[in-house]
Amino acid sequence: MTAAQDFLTASSLHKAFDGAQAVDGVSFTIRQGEIFGLLGPNGAGKTTTIRMLSTVLQADAGDVTIGGFSVGRQGDEVRRLIGVCPQELALYPELSASDNMIFFGRMAGLSGREAKAAARQNLETVGLADRAKDKVDKFSGGMKRRVNIAIALMNRPRMLFLDEPTVGIDPQSRNHIFETVESLRDGGMTVLYTTHYMEEADRLCDRIGIMDHGRLISLGAPRELKARIGDPDQVTLESVFLDLTGRSLRD
Amino acid sequence: MPLHIALLELKLYVLDRGELALSIALPIALFALMYGAFGGESSFSATADIVDLDGGAHARALIQRLDSLDEITVRERAPQDANAALERSAITMAVVIPDGFSQSLDSGAPQPLLFRQRGSGGDTGQIVAGIVRAVAQRMSGEAQLRGTVLDATSGSNIERADVERAIAETLERVRQNPPIRVVERAVHDERPSALDRLVPGLLVMFLMFSITLGAQTLVEERRIGTLERLMTTRLTVTKLFIGKFLSAALRAMFQAVILLTLAFAALRIGGLVDYAELLALSVCVAAAVSAIGLVIGALARTRDQAVWAAVVFTMFMTVFGGTFFDVGADGPLATLARLTITRYAIESMSAVLSAGESLAQQGVGILALGGVAAVALTIARALFRVTETGR
Repeated sequence: MTAAQDFLTASSLHKAFDGAQAVDGVSFTIRQGEIFGLLGPNGAGKTTTIRMLSTVLQADAGDVTIGGFSVGRQGDEVRRLIGVCPQELALYPELSASDNMIFFGRMAGLSGREAKAAARQNLETVGLADRAKDKVDKFSGGMKRRVNIAIALMNRPRMLFLDEPTVGIDPQSRNHIFETVESLRDGGMTVLYTTHYMEEADRLCDRIGIMDHGRLISLGAPRELKARIGDPDQVTLESVFLDLTGRSLRD
Repeated sequence: MPLHIALLELKLYVLDRGELALSIALPIALFALMYGAFGGESSFSATADIVDLDGGAHARALIQRLDSLDEITVRERAPQDANAALERSAITMAVVIPDGFSQSLDSGAPQPLLFRQRGSGGDTGQIVAGIVRAVAQRMSGEAQLRGTVLDATSGSNIERADVERAIAETLERVRQNPPIRVVERAVHDERPSALDRLVPGLLVMFLMFSITLGAQTLVEERRIGTLERLMTTRLTVTKLFIGKFLSAALRAMFQAVILLTLAFAALRIGGLVDYAELLALSVCVAAAVSAIGLVIGALARTRDQAVWAAVVFTMFMTVFGGTFFDVGADGPLATLARLTITRYAIESMSAVLSAGESLAQQGVGILALGGVAAVALTIARALFRVTETGR
């Protein structure tokens, strides 16, 4: 694997809040065009890591480069390359799906005409073209999740961050999201994906990193991770996860 | 981009019908209170019964001028009708414009108005007579001026119509902006009237409420997750804050315009120039309080924190800034008041309203409010970068 194939490189990332180490020396790379899964129990440091990778939060130490640009020093260049779909439904409920998308498109630097065209195209991608003018407030949970993803695609990013994009939605919507993510990957997009659903990670991710207590404790393709504790055809990713992170309850 | 942020905020504001209705209703309710307290204070009002035996242009102009006065309502009567009303004491005084009034005025010959009255005409009749006398004397002066100027220019090659137009324009200008302005003050009290102080006080207090708007806008965006999403776009923190600042200030001004328009229209506290100057000062106040609201928004983690901090700040500014009482020029209260933006805002507005000062004379107030806006915006931006992104 050459460095040129690594689209994202995180080196020794650290972040503490009020003295508590949320991310403690995390390093990994994500290759161009792969779906990289970041798994971990609640409080493991996944969201903090994503916030640092996506320029929202400054790391206490360490560095991240995305597409050859440093997140710490070249934030604006990095933001041109990335699309972020946060865990929360980051939408204006009083606005229509189309207005939400056009607004965020303008914030991503698109002209009015470009934003409208991108909104139309991305609503089609997530299967909501016929609901473009409806208020987001009236949408089902699954539809809101799809709009949430569509907004992240507004600036035609080369890398997409998806933080638990399938929480609380029905199997049909979830399947639609899987298909969308797979088609984006097939189009060459690099994806960082976090989820608590192990079968989802097993299906989608080319490689998986497992975090716990702010550290990256395991990294590899799903089959490699399973092979570490038994027969990969018999062992589930959930067993690997529980084996690595323990069975005690988390927050 | 800041404009898009501001437009989005305004769109959300308009779409939220409850908030929109409340923001329109509150200034109206506040104005109703003001009107209830001071609306009747203004003054004398009476009906002037007029008998027009002339019917000429000057007679009609006199009636029209009297009718345009706030204090006077004109009721025209036929001569017999006026006599009958005087006989049965239904009225105590009638103004009779004699036949030939307009013609005499044009020729410069003296032509008296006749006040027909029962006895002395009563207090009201005497006041009405005084007002009619003042208006008639002014018209007489204007007629004399017109006659003198026309005589003086009659031999020249200037067209008479041009001279008359120039005279009419000059007289109209003097009527609109009289060289002598009357300011009413209570005996032993050289301070502005209660209304002149309270209108700016309430206006500033209302503008202060928009601290809460500025504080909430950031907290609300944080709560629904859009703030974090915005931070992954190409929007910079500076542009975000300018957009939020613009929208909060515009929303504050929306309410200020309602309140100010009602106060000027119904309480007649000043002219158009005063209105424009108070509006300009309101923009300065709105800017300062919106920026302070963003400081609170940058620090607050929850909606409750934002609202409480904004309310406490507003109360402090309102109470110690002299909204409801005069804090005087010296003493600890005056010193404390100088630490509030309310004091500077109210002083400037009161000076415009009651002392007839111009906006240009309010340099200290404008500088203080503008300075607060600039410094608060800078602090809010810096705090946000530290608290939100850890930079």
